[in-house]
Amino acid sequence: MSESSRVGPRMSAATKARPADRIFRLLSTSAAVSIMVILAGVALFLIVRSLPAILANWQTTPELSTGPTGGFASFFSYVGPLAFGTVWASVIALLMATPVAVGIALFISHYSPRKLAGFLGYIVDLLAAVPSVVFGLWGILVMRPFLLPMQVWLNEYLGWIPLFSGKVTSTGSSILTGAVVLAVMVLPIITSISREIFLQTPKLHEEAALALGSTRWEMIRLTVFPYARSGVVSAILLGLGRALGETMAVAMIISPAILVSFKLTTEGENSQTIASNIALNFPIASGLQRDALIGTGLVLFVISLAVNMLARLILNAKPGGRKLWVRPRTEPRAKAIAIAAAEAGAETAIDTSQRSPAGRS
Amino acid sequence: MKVLRFGRVAAVIAAGALALTACGGSNTGASAPGAGSNSGGSSRTESLSGTITAGGSSAQANAQAAWTAGFKAQAPGVTVNYDKSQGSGGGVTNFLAGTYDFAGSDAYLKPDQAAKAQEKCGPGGAVNLPVYTDGVAIIFNLKGVDKLQLSSDTLAKIFAQKIKSWDDAAIKADNPGVTLPSTAITTVTRSDGSGTTQNFSNYLHQVAPGVWTSPVSNKWPIAGSSAQQGGSGVVNTVKAGDGTIGYADHSSIGDVKAASIKAGSTYVAFSQDAVTKAIAAAVTPAKTTVAGDLSQDIDYTKLTSGDAYPIPLISYDILCTKFKDAKQAKLVTAYIGYIISDQGQKIAAKNAGSAPIPADLATKISATLKTIS
Repeated sequence: MSESSRVGPRMSAATKARPADRIFRLLSTSAAVSIMVILAGVALFLIVRSLPAILANWQTTPELSTGPTGGFASFFSYVGPLAFGTVWASVIALLMATPVAVGIALFISHYSPRKLAGFLGYIVDLLAAVPSVVFGLWGILVMRPFLLPMQVWLNEYLGWIPLFSGKVTSTGSSILTGAVVLAVMVLPIITSISREIFLQTPKLHEEAALALGSTRWEMIRLTVFPYARSGVVSAILLGLGRALGETMAVAMIISPAILVSFKLTTEGENSQTIASNIALNFPIASGLQRDALIGTGLVLFVISLAVNMLARLILNAKPGGRKLWVRPRTEPRAKAIAIAAAEAGAETAIDTSQRSPAGRS
Repeated sequence: MKVLRFGRVAAVIAAGALALTACGGSNTGASAPGAGSNSGGSSRTESLSGTITAGGSSAQANAQAAWTAGFKAQAPGVTVNYDKSQGSGGGVTNFLAGTYDFAGSDAYLKPDQAAKAQEKCGPGGAVNLPVYTDGVAIIFNLKGVDKLQLSSDTLAKIFAQKIKSWDDAAIKADNPGVTLPSTAITTVTRSDGSGTTQNFSNYLHQVAPGVWTSPVSNKWPIAGSSAQQGGSGVVNTVKAGDGTIGYADHSSIGDVKAASIKAGSTYVAFSQDAVTKAIAAAVTPAKTTVAGDLSQDIDYTKLTSGDAYPIPLISYDILCTKFKDAKQAKLVTAYIGYIISDQGQKIAAKNAGSAPIPADLATKISATLKTIS
């Protein structure tokens, strides 16, 4: 940590090791190791338990050809539509949530008065604390009847678009309703991460843009967006991670079928998601059927892992992005700006560069 | 600023805690082997104490709640924990794993499960006791129609999605004099596996084999319906839609309208009495190797008399013939004895809307209970 010479306390701790330091180091190291062990344990459990079902012949094994797993040629023809449904529902949700979330984040970081910003941030975080079963009930009792007329309209007038074709729902129990509720659920994640990133746009850039005569929108377009692009993308991917694993709300709202379907407004042709399929069928499943469900869980595990790794990769790869999930380090560019600003005597710029990644103004 | 940040941390922790609680829904307590201290060898229930751990069928849930409360009044020292979140399959799995004193299940043990039960309970195996009987109600919501009559053939055609609108000739023929709108039919089924689905698909399979060609299954076999979670999900959705029709355990339908189903030459509406009569008329003992086992097969085709409801449903409590702990055996048999008593069946009928079991079945169950130790 040669770069951290500016930071006092951390440096002095490294010079002289005391027992308390060693103990704390041990504790924190074992905590870090335990997370690896847990993750490996979960992966191992998923693989070991699901192997019998993945390798079995689904047509000749009586247990797999009946009940919740009945009617599928193999594990892959069972899990395929489920994996599709999981991704499909999440993607629709994200398409709806992203513009709204970025809008809220921008409002909080650049438009709203300071006091209101704090309050709004609070409200958004509170949204993340609502249990998903409550969202499920809200979806059934409020959103289904509320969205029903719109879906009937879409089906009647835009039914020539394949997305809105098919036999329209009569109760609102469609994937569209589910995706709207999912969108509300992922909103807080995308909003709070985007907000953090928007706030970290170097003040100097913003002020430079304004000084050149930009309007506020142009300033945001020219300085905030380019700086925050990779961060927002990874925020979206983290939101996707949440949406992929969502169980209760989806299970309660959407009327599922295990098939591949892009239709949004039907009741009988909604692709089922992996998580809610497990929740719905685990209680009645026995033996190999349970193993098959665990196998679908393994697939979900892999998908989530891939999405999270992608998010991280994007966040770390692009130079403009702040490394939210890595140990804070002064970035060369921020440092250069800080030095230049210090030479120019601009106090505000130093503030900007010293702000910790999790910090806010 | 500091305060705000602390608030955020608190919010995150709160969110995490809530997420954890939300995920930990089906938290089954470990089995509590009999802490029974039966004083003085008296077999009267007041002197019993201990905990019974059980779970399974959600169809039995309301009745179990009523029985638990009623039994508590008789035996204040006994606590009964019935976990309905498991469903029939989960109940049997936990029973076979040894965590439950008895399992509630809408189906009796299959041969392979019975074999596993022998490993757990000893060579005597486990008995299936039909303690709960009810009917599958066909509920509907159709603007302008208050009373609906359906023959089994029409019913099968509707649920097989061969009839698509309410003014179909077959439905008209069942309902002379009723003006039926041309609304599209939406069939509402269960998205989760369920004993109710098993019973209902078995009924359709038996009475309308020409129309219903799908397998008998605890998972609804036909795509294209509105699939909902749980009996309450089906009831809610039928209620909310127009032109909807679904099936649910009668005890859970609330104020939603139910159709009368044709048995023989008359249309029979659901009543507790009609279900009890149906059970008495249609059950035949299933093949079993366990002495005292009371597994029943329902022959729906026998239900042609005009006073028996054609779609009855049986749910079992499954327990070992020999408990590891004699005191626990005493506790459980006392509790099941209470369930099948006149009082127990009346309480369930009043609170859960189930139908009392026929008297001769109750006699057989209490004979089996005497053999359990």
